Amino acid sequence: MSNFEVINKSAPRVDGYAKATGRAIYVDDMKMPGMLYGVMLQSPLAHALIRNIDTSAAARLPGVKAVVTAKEAGTVKYGVSPARYDETVFCYDKVRHVGDNVAAVAAVDLETAMHALSLIKVDYQELPVLLTIEEAMAEGAPLIHEEYPRNVTAEVHQEFGDVQAAFKECDLIKTTSFVNKRQDGAFIEPQSCLAHYDHFGNLTLYSSTQSVHYVQRTVAMVLGMPVGRVRVVKPYVGAGFGPKAAANHLELATCLLSIRTGKPVKMIFEREQVFMHSRGRHQFFHKFTTGVKKDGTILALDHECYLNGGAYSSFGIATVYYAGSLLGGPYRLANMKYDGYRVYTNLPACGAQRGHGGVAARAGWEQQLDMIAEELGMDPVELRLKNMLVAGDVTCNDLNTSSFGMKECIEAVRDGSDWKAKKSKLPRGKGIGIACGFFVSGAGYPIYRSDTFHGTATVKLAEDGGSALLFSASCEIGQGSDTTFCMIAAEALGIPLESVRIQSGDTDFGVDLGAYSSRQTLMTGHAVKEAAEDAKRQVLEVISEKLNYPVQDMDIKKGFIVFKKGKPDISYLRTNYIKEHRGWSDNPGAEGDLSFREASRIAFLSRGTIVGTGKYKPPELGGKFKGAAVGTSPAYGCSAQVVELSVDEDTGKITIEKMTDAHDCGLAINRTSVEAQMQGSLSMGLGEALFEEVKFDPQGRIINADLAEYKIPTSLDMPPVKAIIVESNEPAGPFGAKEVGEGAIMPTIPAILNALYDAVGVRVFELPMTPERVYNAIRELKEKK
Amino acid sequence: MLLPRFDFHEPATLAEACEMMAHYGAKAKVIAGGTDLMVNMKKKLLSPERLVSIARIPELKKLDSSPGMLKLGPCFTIANIAASEEIGKTWGAICAGARSLGSPLVRSRATVGGNLGTARPAGDMPPSLMAYGARVVLTKKSGQRVVSLDNFFRGPGLTEIAADEVLSEILVDAPPPYSGCSYMNISLRSACDCNIVNVASFVTLEGPGGPIKTARIVLGCVGPTHRRAVTAEKTLIGQKPSAALFDTAAGAIAACVPGAETADCIPIDDFRGSADYKMEMAKLLIRRTLGAACSEAMKQ
Amino acid sequence: MAKLIHLTINDKEYDVAVAPNETLVDMLRYRLGLTGTKKGCGLGDCGSCTVIMDGSAVNSCLVLAVQADGSQITTVEGLETDEGLHPVQRAFIEHGAIQCGFCSSGMIVSAKNLLDKNPHPTEADVRTALSGNLCRCTGYQKIVDAVLSVGK
Repeated sequence: MSNFEVINKSAPRVDGYAKATGRAIYVDDMKMPGMLYGVMLQSPLAHALIRNIDTSAAARLPGVKAVVTAKEAGTVKYGVSPARYDETVFCYDKVRHVGDNVAAVAAVDLETAMHALSLIKVDYQELPVLLTIEEAMAEGAPLIHEEYPRNVTAEVHQEFGDVQAAFKECDLIKTTSFVNKRQDGAFIEPQSCLAHYDHFGNLTLYSSTQSVHYVQRTVAMVLGMPVGRVRVVKPYVGAGFGPKAAANHLELATCLLSIRTGKPVKMIFEREQVFMHSRGRHQFFHKFTTGVKKDGTILALDHECYLNGGAYSSFGIATVYYAGSLLGGPYRLANMKYDGYRVYTNLPACGAQRGHGGVAARAGWEQQLDMIAEELGMDPVELRLKNMLVAGDVTCNDLNTSSFGMKECIEAVRDGSDWKAKKSKLPRGKGIGIACGFFVSGAGYPIYRSDTFHGTATVKLAEDGGSALLFSASCEIGQGSDTTFCMIAAEALGIPLESVRIQSGDTDFGVDLGAYSSRQTLMTGHAVKEAAEDAKRQVLEVISEKLNYPVQDMDIKKGFIVFKKGKPDISYLRTNYIKEHRGWSDNPGAEGDLSFREASRIAFLSRGTIVGTGKYKPPELGGKFKGAAVGTSPAYGCSAQVVELSVDEDTGKITIEKMTDAHDCGLAINRTSVEAQMQGSLSMGLGEALFEEVKFDPQGRIINADLAEYKIPTSLDMPPVKAIIVESNEPAGPFGAKEVGEGAIMPTIPAILNALYDAVGVRVFELPMTPERVYNAIRELKEKK
Repeated sequence: MLLPRFDFHEPATLAEACEMMAHYGAKAKVIAGGTDLMVNMKKKLLSPERLVSIARIPELKKLDSSPGMLKLGPCFTIANIAASEEIGKTWGAICAGARSLGSPLVRSRATVGGNLGTARPAGDMPPSLMAYGARVVLTKKSGQRVVSLDNFFRGPGLTEIAADEVLSEILVDAPPPYSGCSYMNISLRSACDCNIVNVASFVTLEGPGGPIKTARIVLGCVGPTHRRAVTAEKTLIGQKPSAALFDTAAGAIAACVPGAETADCIPIDDFRGSADYKMEMAKLLIRRTLGAACSEAMKQ
Repeated sequence: MAKLIHLTINDKEYDVAVAPNETLVDMLRYRLGLTGTKKGCGLGDCGSCTVIMDGSAVNSCLVLAVQADGSQITTVEGLETDEGLHPVQRAFIEHGAIQCGFCSSGMIVSAKNLLDKNPHPTEADVRTALSGNLCRCTGYQKIVDAVLSVGK
């Protein structure tokens, strides 16, 4: 079907062997001579002034090499968005949540470091604790950050079209509310880092991160070092999902300790600390009022959302925009009003997690659309097909859809799940539900205002041997990007996949914004393709010169030079090559085609090392209104999902029986990786729908900061997942590719909500759908009757 | 996560273990698999100065199911119980309890003695063992005593075991003819989860279709310890099994004075669920386990 | 006071001096450099520390090194032999069952243990055997497919 040599197939990952044999090195597997162990002192209180910190006893403990607080770290503010830099490495005036960072210790072993921590005396003066949005915004409530009145981190007010006028033309107006719970990333590898400051003043930080670039800039800025003296390297990483996409206190403190001791310092989060750091999904309180005509045309949406953001901003300013902007699609909606408020509370800070601000909004709105469909007497599939965007449409908030295979996705899951035979026809207690979603293929703008390229890539051809070495600062965190880029490079160069090797995740290799907002395949992929094509061009130019053959009639395919207008005499080149390789047993025969191995050698001999470079920056995107940038992207992935479930009405327990997902990824570079990301997204969505919530006590302490009581799906909780790839050929993507990593989670929660209604006729407007919540909803419905 | 420091002792015999516990008393804790103890120590909830491991004492790992009685060593693993055909054919509900516990990785190390000794109100092994009328042997230097499981649990984490005693054997009588027992639990996920409610019911009938002669209903997660739903049991004696009867039994647990020490079911609101939901689920599982137990009893 | 223990790991014999409060996973990773076994939670909730101990898959973060005295341990490093990758490793690679890889060591070891005891498991058998190994990346589908393919 496809006319590609390498891409668009199922390829085994280039890092599979290392991971399957235990050879893959993650940060905690690393060791350096003289390495010290660091630990963080974190606040036991949710809101308190720091009156005094006495580290003298800790510093005196034998084996302790450094104790640092804000005094040593300084108070340079940082965060994710420069407009909201509100964090410091250590708290200097007050602590704002349980787990906030106060000090750090480096010692010869972990036990000594932990003992030293217990000797640090902090005098706290407790302040009122604000855990809810109501408490935080109340008249006279203390300010968590002095600069932000009413504890509002950011406020958004947008209107596109005229919602009130549109409502007047509607036949049905529906209002519902929806709330989720704060989620945790729950990646299996906790944040970990190892910093080494050498005696020449160069700092190298190894970290389990999604963006070596953002970490590098933050470390340099906060610690007052030139960016060029800071190198951040990502070894193998045990996933990120968003919380690892920005610099954290662990990294900054570890660098500081290494600078002060002159020794390598390793610091790892315990699982409980992962929860206390959070930077996971916000809790969103949504209210949607949607107006439609009786034929199902969606005319207007009035949307209000409050976000409980925790003690610091993190990605929160983007989150509050995404919560609104991502309802501009995947349906045609001419009139949309959005009012969003992201509020500070004395809880760990929330940030960006797979699907960012769009997931809870999607869940609540897709459920409401099903309710509207029912009232109109329309099949939910028909309602969606009627309203969906098509390629070329622009949303009311200026998001351009250059490719949009939504129709194909809806039809694929409708047919793949046997929807027509099952909807409303399954026995009581069994149900089927559908939902749709879409997501950016990379944020249109970097998180710091800049004209920087979003990704650069270098392809260096080996001087001999026909291999291509690809260097990129991009971050393979498990999604398969290293393999994807090798495939893109191989395809663009015209050589087999086995001839390409990649080194990535190192700021020495270039600039790459990293693995977040589902950007790498499209954005870094472009840079890689350009670099590979650049290298190819140089090789063909040399051969063209040598053979006096027009370069436009040449190509490279399957590792051989292609002469489109008749093969010239290459014997002179071949003879020289063989002369250089006397003793080799696999030299080309007299008659064979000119190989890339020979051609790249010849190119080296002619020009020196052949290096191709590539870069990518999206075009100017979006409207001119405030916040227009958030939600912009060069392309959008889209998807539809059908979930089949059964409910035990006596307990309220939901069992997901089957999931069918169709995702338009433009073009699948590695089909296996695309399916795998779809299946993974669905498991995170299922967990959030049924089990996951971070729970706090009245003092702001996390009750369930472990993987027993914070429940992600086990192998027995996940059903079989059918993943269908839809390819719409995105013009803005390399070879037509766009995202899959985050978009696939969008329809999961609402598909489950809608299936629950099909099964037992109840609607749940609060997540998670625990057995108790479902049981109560069923009981309430029975009592009404 | 670091464990606190301690001294580790590995007695080779039960007598040696008792000698050590007599000597160290409350400063020592007995360890077998350690899957619960180690978690408590890592969380700094417990910091014993000494651990006395009984895991290598051969007589404490045995399984002896002569007709009439099951004798289980406390170090017999949960995984082995779950897989045991010997236990399964006569005491099936014990295997059901074992299969529900934790994960396969935990079951390989966790022991039945450990699950009893750790006395978690949501524990998977106590309900079925209590329903079958199990007794434990507590051995110390100067002798031993036998305690019914009904009188063994004193509170969350607290048992009848004295500081100088070792739980050395679990005794379960073979059920009389026309008996049945069932264990069921409700949790959020299908594995690795702490129960929201768990129940075991045991019945003996007079004859194949006959009225109920003996009934034991054990509730977990709805009180500080596993408890016998005595009020519910009383409604069953002398009655023929039926759905209506099971409803009556289930309803009886709610009729007790809330908060009373002797109440069958005193659930609390906590982060796992509300008292109301737990009460409803306890009633549901009583109905379901009675149904299953009576079906088994009638088939014999 | 350190205790000298003797155990066999991946068919090789070791004498190791360990502290009483040292866990098996820490001994493997930090004393012996066998870093293939991972640490994700420390409390036996995630399974990334899975090793086979005397024939059973266990959470090595909940085993004291002293408890492993005299034991036979298999870690992920012991699966590849002179003949090549273990069939489970090969199947994981071929089926795309590995994403970030952090759960993979534990998952592969649990799967190998299952197949040693039950060479032709059903899907339900596989999911049950792996229910103590958490994965946040894959949704388990390709993992289950990989294990079933070895058991065919």
